[in-house]
Amino acid sequence: MNGRPSAPLLSVRGLTVEFRQPGGPSLTAVRNVSLDIPAGGVVALVGESGSGKTSLAQAILGLVPAAAGQVLFRGEDILAMDRPALQKTRRAVQAVFQDPLASLSPRRRVLQTLLEPLEQFGIGDRGSRARMAAEALAEVELDASLLTRYPHELSGGQRQRVALARALISGPELVVADEPFSSLDVSLQTRLVELVRQIRRRRGVAFLFVSHDLAVVRRLADSVAVFYAGRLLESGATRRIFAAPAHPYTRALLAAIPVPDPGLPPPRILSGETPSPLTPPPGCVFHNRCPEASEICARETPEERSLPGTPDEEPEHRVTCHLHND
Amino acid sequence: MNGRVETWSRLKGDPAGVAGLLIVGVFLLLAAGVWAGVLGQGWADASGGRWESPGAEHWFGTNVLGQDIFERSVYSVRTAFEIGLVVAVLSTLLGAALGALSGWYARTWVDGTVMWLKGVLDAIPFYLFVAAVAYALQGRPWAMHLAMVATFWTTTGRLVRAEVLKLRGQDFVRAARTVGLSDARILLRHVLPNTSHILLVQGTLALVAAIKTEVILSFLGLGVQDGVSWGLMLAESTQEVPAGHFANFAAASGMLFALLMGFNLLADALQDAMDPRQASL
Amino acid sequence: MSATVLSVRKLSVFLRDGRAEQTVVDGVSFDLAAGEVLALVGESGCGKSKTAEAIMGLLPSGLARLEADEIRLGDVNLARLGAEAMRRVRGRDLSMVFQEPMTALDPVFRVGNQLTTPFRRHRGQSRREASNSAEAMLRRLGMPDPDRVMRRYPHELSGGMRQRVLLAMAMACRPQVLIADEPTTALDVTTQAQVLEDLVRLGQEAGTAVLLITHDLGVVAHYADRALVMQRGRIVEEAGVGDLFRAPTHDYSRALIAAARGLSG
Repeated sequence: MNGRPSAPLLSVRGLTVEFRQPGGPSLTAVRNVSLDIPAGGVVALVGESGSGKTSLAQAILGLVPAAAGQVLFRGEDILAMDRPALQKTRRAVQAVFQDPLASLSPRRRVLQTLLEPLEQFGIGDRGSRARMAAEALAEVELDASLLTRYPHELSGGQRQRVALARALISGPELVVADEPFSSLDVSLQTRLVELVRQIRRRRGVAFLFVSHDLAVVRRLADSVAVFYAGRLLESGATRRIFAAPAHPYTRALLAAIPVPDPGLPPPRILSGETPSPLTPPPGCVFHNRCPEASEICARETPEERSLPGTPDEEPEHRVTCHLHND
Repeated sequence: MNGRVETWSRLKGDPAGVAGLLIVGVFLLLAAGVWAGVLGQGWADASGGRWESPGAEHWFGTNVLGQDIFERSVYSVRTAFEIGLVVAVLSTLLGAALGALSGWYARTWVDGTVMWLKGVLDAIPFYLFVAAVAYALQGRPWAMHLAMVATFWTTTGRLVRAEVLKLRGQDFVRAARTVGLSDARILLRHVLPNTSHILLVQGTLALVAAIKTEVILSFLGLGVQDGVSWGLMLAESTQEVPAGHFANFAAASGMLFALLMGFNLLADALQDAMDPRQASL
Repeated sequence: MSATVLSVRKLSVFLRDGRAEQTVVDGVSFDLAAGEVLALVGESGCGKSKTAEAIMGLLPSGLARLEADEIRLGDVNLARLGAEAMRRVRGRDLSMVFQEPMTALDPVFRVGNQLTTPFRRHRGQSRREASNSAEAMLRRLGMPDPDRVMRRYPHELSGGMRQRVLLAMAMACRPQVLIADEPTTALDVTTQAQVLEDLVRLGQEAGTAVLLITHDLGVVAHYADRALVMQRGRIVEEAGVGDLFRAPTHDYSRALIAAARGLSG
């Protein structure tokens, strides 16, 4: 049976996230974004600073309010749920944050940190919970002796694994991770990426992770969503996006990465600055830096379109660009 | 922020801190002795003649009523600690609670109310406030405690509020929210424990301030009613010193100075020992 | 073969950890030739930043101890210099750019004010002269509207622009050596290329030798001439960039390159 897989696990529809400065204008961090996360799939949100990818992840987690749009989890809108329903959803959607030193409560031992989700969601009982905590550590390849330690007594890599264990311990269907690899050295990153792949294969849990590091994305994600200044410019299967990026920004992003091979051409410079979120430019948000911009780009905001030619099993390749206006 | 073990080892290595700790420790033992009924029990007995010089029977001599100054000095240690501890604990708890609430709900009516309250209390001249409270409570012994707690909490509250504002944006708080913890639980379990370094130091400072304030209040007659304190002794000594009898004054002010010095040394050393920036690079 | 402008011999840095001492830099020796870009590459904790701080005389005094046979800049041995003399050398002959552009500029002073400072202090220029020099510098960096940039406060500029301002400040006096410690790690990748290009170009124009500290092998591959690979306080390999990537001789270098290549597909 081919054809697109059944309804996605999580579906973001037309989400807009705004932040109001105290006594000032409002800042649109995410504008009208739609994307799908299939069950068991790995989706990466990429973009540079101010692109809105982190705000989107936080809105999905319910940490920041949305100004418009829906976040459908198994068909139900998380944003419209009442407290008890939301609590049930929380168990299924867990998080890993960027800085493990800041995301683990400094005054609590690893065991207490791991027990917290179990207690909160009413999983197991006193006897079984301690065992589950030890198992959770084993799953991220850490020794049970670390249960009695405090976060500052662990290395960066260990801390991040504990954060991952905490996210997995309640048996979620989706883990949302905000730059989980950024604080680690390259060799630790490689190991953690490998671990995530194994966990994903074993548990079938879906991942949504935010990253500015395209190398990691390439290794881990099935599909990629490229953000710039609060808008989703391009999304699709990772392989396709890397091999044949459709949006000029994606192309510029890929061309700017210095590959560790002096034989290859040097990274290309993208001139100009990202527009300030308080004063978005008219037309396409990228037009002032786009090497292929034409005069329509300065006038009208392009619509998101699906590119033809992607096979059925692959996610759609969508672009928001006037170059693809057919 | 340093853990308990690290803080203790750093404190041990700091000579000023060790000195403070020793001084405070000695006074604490004296206070315990009084509480246990072992020391200072004869503070009210007019067991000697008027203004006797220090001697074998009365180590510090006697006051105008023939009471043993040494006994009174020692009993006053208990008074000082009692006032200090009650005020320190209550004002710190109150400051922590109100500070945490106003920091967590910053820029809402909760914050507004607490800040308004702080402003009002800070604006009232302290001794007028105490006099008003003492009068209203018709000289009940805890009038002084109440007045001090009601005004001392504001400093702690302000500091805790600032710290909670900072902690609120940290990822571990976000992580707790993704697990669905209620605000109250997050505050109690995750946020407040991370303000403990503030609370500890502020508590120590409140203790010192309470002791000093009691001295002044007792001197003014608004303080201790049923017992003796250094303040009362100092008040007595205003009559005695012009007559050439210094024992009361010397004992009270000497012990007061020693205890406050000890606490100051300890509080400074404690603050340094808890500050992770001191040794990190 | 260019002249050697900085010569480091047996540099060691020890950190006091309670009562014990930890060796974070262990007998490091290398030469830096005029006009070249030398990369000091390694993972976090390998001692590369401490090496830079030691050369600049910026080690935290109570907690770190420096030992070196020599740190020769021109004909002066920095290792034997007192604090006052070191202060004169810093900024004029030897300067540094740090990782965090967000915090390296004083937020209460305008950019122009901070940018003119090295010109006034080290080149003795008047306020008007310094202002012109600063503007010329920004123009050389390809910044549009340097006048407006000078009048801004740091928080009004993006990270990339701030870093370029810091670069301008570091290069103001055409120092003999510029040390750049992870100058683009905190920046977006599209800005990174611009800043690194500017760095290399300014260095070449002024004849300044650059010691580029980084953990990113991609940066080493495209912006450095030679590289020193550091592991646990020691230099384990020293090679021209082409040779290093083609045929690394040390296991650690090989592992690093493999990990970096592995991730980039």
